[in-house]
Amino acid sequence: MKPDVGTVMQGFFGTLLGDVAPHLNAEYSMGNVGIMGMMMFMTAEEYDRAADIRAAENAEMRSLFSHAAALVTDDALKKKLAAAASEKEGSLRVTALNARNAALAALLIELQTHVEASDASWASALEARIWDHLVAATERRKLPLPSFG
Amino acid sequence: MEDLARRVAAYLAHRMPQASNIEVSRVSRIHGGASRETFRLHASWEEGGAKVERPLILRRDPVASLIETERDLEYNAYRAFHPTGLPVPEPLYLETDLSWLDRPFFVMEQIEGCQAGSAFNAEPYGEFAEKIGQQFWTHLGHIAAADPHGIGFAENMEPVAPDECWKRELEKWEKVIDEDELEPQPVARAAIRWLKRNPPSPAEKISVVHGDYRTGNFLFDAEGNIRAILDWEMCHLGDPLEDVAWAADPLWAHERPERPGGMIARDEAIRLWEEASGLKADPVRLRWWEIFNSLKGLAIWISAGKEYQTGANRDPVLAFSSWYCTDVHNRVLARRLAELSEEGRA
Repeated sequence: MKPDVGTVMQGFFGTLLGDVAPHLNAEYSMGNVGIMGMMMFMTAEEYDRAADIRAAENAEMRSLFSHAAALVTDDALKKKLAAAASEKEGSLRVTALNARNAALAALLIELQTHVEASDASWASALEARIWDHLVAATERRKLPLPSFG
Repeated sequence: MEDLARRVAAYLAHRMPQASNIEVSRVSRIHGGASRETFRLHASWEEGGAKVERPLILRRDPVASLIETERDLEYNAYRAFHPTGLPVPEPLYLETDLSWLDRPFFVMEQIEGCQAGSAFNAEPYGEFAEKIGQQFWTHLGHIAAADPHGIGFAENMEPVAPDECWKRELEKWEKVIDEDELEPQPVARAAIRWLKRNPPSPAEKISVVHGDYRTGNFLFDAEGNIRAILDWEMCHLGDPLEDVAWAADPLWAHERPERPGGMIARDEAIRLWEEASGLKADPVRLRWWEIFNSLKGLAIWISAGKEYQTGANRDPVLAFSSWYCTDVHNRVLARRLAELSEEGRA
């Protein structure tokens, strides 16, 4: 599909701010156009990377759960971790990836809460690995903000 | 806008029976007031044989908002601080009778010839950064130093003990996340657990807390003088370090915590605040409030995302806040909490 979605979004961003906004009289409408333009700029990036970063995040969490399942002694949590770790990524539609991401994130919260309360010898290293994942995941999702000089 | 002008004129006639020939014109909605609909307008009337002209601001409750607050909190803050010399607009009328404009609203003085810096501009104050920064932190110190009872602020506010401020605020914003999250929030949940495990020392005093004191929420003139501190809708009684931490949050400074709000260096900012407030910015307690405030930010942006997603409010600023500000605060908190976790393990 040409022009690329990113190119179109960035083009619309330029048109909205350079061509549409200056011809608006209402301050409120100008502000809205500015915000929508900025979100088009962000969408240009998000469209291209959305599936990739969600698939990477999901794979990282499954790997983390596989590792954790061998360590935690709580049977119920161990089973949940093992089950989540063995799941395969299905559809690559962003809505499907988001749904699996949400389920995995809920389990990550449960695991992190459990690890923080644990005094087992492996807890400290596992807690560090969870934070490595969260820092990397939030960094990957960083949205670009256009510079207005 | 014509209908609004007519209705506001009728309201002003009701509030000013001594006035005649009241006209309201130049009504325009101001962008960015996601917790209130904010309108600029011009009122004129005849009184005592003279023509009176007055530019005004109307703040009306929206159907749904970024921040669920009572408009009388904000109005009362203006009423309390206006006589103290702190630069705030003069509040004029507070109205809860829905017959006038369908929703509650208040009217205040319009401060003309000023602008607000954008929190999303890397250099929001340009050549005035130093001058504005000095005023910004000094004014915040004066807010902290004010006696909430003496200025009439505390009258209708929920009291709080110095050792309970943190708990009340944390519970409030945790509840917002519980109610409004549309997907699990691992970073926010980790922050809540950390904040509960590491409660701060009691507040040095109970002060007025503005609740949203930051770049973008004050007006300055062409000479770089701060003329109006605005957006008091989240004000409350509490630990004054809460405001210091919010003003210094990395979100308002393009993630450059060493120069909060794009103004002056952090160390100088804290020094000015301490000098004006007569209080100490205890670093450990300040750190707690910094982490809390990034969490409070997340709660606000999560709530904004729900409003937009469910169709309760389709103001684009809500969608933007939910995308961009959630992204920043998740990153800020993840990095900070990862460091604290590592320190704790060492």
